[in-house]
Amino acid sequence: MQKIKWFLLIGITVSILFSCLIMATAAEMTAEEIINKRDDNEYFDTTQMEAEMIIVSGGRKIIKAMFVLADKRNALVEFTNPVDRGTKFLKREDDLWMFFPDAEEIIKISGHMLNQGMMGSDFSYQDVMESDKLTDLYDFKIIEEEEFEGRPCYVLEGIAREGVKVSYYRRVAWIDKDRFIGLKEELYTQSGRLLKETKVNKIEEIEERWIPTNSVMENKLRKDTYTEFTITQIKFNLEIPEETFSLQNLR
Amino acid sequence: MFSFKLGLKNLTRQKRRNILIILVIAFAFSSYLLMDSLMNGMEEMSFDNIKNYDTGNIQVVHPEYWEDREELLLENLIYLNQDMEESIKNTDGLLGVSSELRFKANLNNGIDEVAVRGVGISIEQYNQVFATQNYVVEGSMFAPGESKAVIGVSLAELMDLKVNDYITLLVRTKEDTFNTIDIEIAGLVRAPNPMINNGIVFVPLDVARQALNVGNAVSMITLKTVSGDEDTLTKELTDSFKNKNLDLKAYSWKESASSVIALSAAKKGGIGAILSVVLLIGMLGIINNVILSALERTEEIGMMKALGMREWEIVFVFMVEATGIGILGGLAGCLLGYAGVSALVKYGFSIAYIGGDGSAYGIPILDRIYGAWNYPAFSFLFILGIIIAVLSSILPSYWAAKKDPVKAIYHR
Repeated sequence: MQKIKWFLLIGITVSILFSCLIMATAAEMTAEEIINKRDDNEYFDTTQMEAEMIIVSGGRKIIKAMFVLADKRNALVEFTNPVDRGTKFLKREDDLWMFFPDAEEIIKISGHMLNQGMMGSDFSYQDVMESDKLTDLYDFKIIEEEEFEGRPCYVLEGIAREGVKVSYYRRVAWIDKDRFIGLKEELYTQSGRLLKETKVNKIEEIEERWIPTNSVMENKLRKDTYTEFTITQIKFNLEIPEETFSLQNLR
Repeated sequence: MFSFKLGLKNLTRQKRRNILIILVIAFAFSSYLLMDSLMNGMEEMSFDNIKNYDTGNIQVVHPEYWEDREELLLENLIYLNQDMEESIKNTDGLLGVSSELRFKANLNNGIDEVAVRGVGISIEQYNQVFATQNYVVEGSMFAPGESKAVIGVSLAELMDLKVNDYITLLVRTKEDTFNTIDIEIAGLVRAPNPMINNGIVFVPLDVARQALNVGNAVSMITLKTVSGDEDTLTKELTDSFKNKNLDLKAYSWKESASSVIALSAAKKGGIGAILSVVLLIGMLGIINNVILSALERTEEIGMMKALGMREWEIVFVFMVEATGIGILGGLAGCLLGYAGVSALVKYGFSIAYIGGDGSAYGIPILDRIYGAWNYPAFSFLFILGIIIAVLSSILPSYWAAKKDPVKAIYHR
């Protein structure tokens, strides 16, 4: 009996010490490190995925399916649902092109068009174009630590750095403390108005990484509208031929 | 004198046929006059609507802004300073000066969003230059210092908005960051320029400047002058800016309206084509009439020649008859045209007949196009009608006069 008590005491002490060590490590992490860790976790060298986008606006629901190939700077998206079959988007560095099979024409999306929702969704073209490192654009700080949907989270606030061009002046992100995955993010205008909110509904461990496989983006300026994005299949670090992200390949 | 009298008398011999030709000429001439009046009216109204609701008589802008002015970028703006204000104030002949900040925005009513042009204005200055205030149909323009907005009736209908509703304008600041302007609607306007009704939101200048982070900048300074003085004042202002090393240039409203002016020139080309058709109708009518008369009067021509009438006298008889038809047709056409143009000037022509407002056709006019008087067109058409009648009668008359008298008398 004495032995059991002794083991229990050692066990509790070790657990407390271990927890303290973890907490101390976490507490030492800066906001920038947390964001970078999240980015490292969520972004990859190359990926191939099949995904579905459900756009709900008022009483209308539109489902779009797509096949995506991407590396760090470029992406090729091809829609596969019957209505949009053959429609393709090519993102190359900071440029975006679109191909309509009916018109058989490649259109460059620029200027005011970038503010429009991609294929009628709540994701603007500009949102999908953002590829700069967030820590280069925003000054982040930890404003809170709280639970979000049962998970302990860091709540980080990013304010746009002076002189940089960003769409959202302020962003607040809830980042899972253990898995370093963004569970929720709020995007604000300069006047402090909440513009968009993204929530992750499902996270799966794929190839030893935590990946948000179902998320919802809401445009907070409009009622009864949201876009749900679901990854149905994903593979990482595949060899993607260089010519994949070429305008010739867009046709 | 005998030939002249005979020609006049011949006018009354085939009454029905001559009246028919006179009516055809009258119809063609009056149609031309109506079309001309409508086109001139449309041009006048288009130009007034551009000056009174969009550009003022002169716009002062940064030359690089001017190139891309339709893009509504927040680049190459004017940062107001004393030198600029003095240059403008010291220019004689200005009736009003208004600073504007134009920007792209998405108008949001909580359910839908639509792209609009935001215009930041200082209301007292704006009212000196533009006539929009006269067309407020509900509520009022916002008062100085009041943070409210004014939008067009069509836009309000589209977005299901009314006076005292709150709207959100989603804009991008100078740094390209999203910002919002939450503002109450003070009034709805229904100005004659469709652009004001369909796609513009007016907000106070200070509200726009703050939301867009542009300090004391404006996109342009619009000036009201006496019509016709624009070219002189534009040159004077541009020289004054140059002397003070200011990177500004003055542009007459005509440069903003170049597309409407081009459209108007194209329409004038169309009017020219209509005039050719009209004159061709008159010519064919008269030629036809002379030939028919000559054929009917072949024996008579032979008899006249046998009695000693010379060829030119016979030609003259037919020419007098044709000229008479030309004069009567022209007179009837001018009278009909006068009545039609009077009605067009007074009551106008509803654009609804051709579907929607004029903006769909690149014409900045709403509802009705009113005709405009063009008196020289009446005299021009009348004189041209007579000349055409005389000229077109020469050949067939000569053909008639050349007939051999013996063969002519026994031509059957």
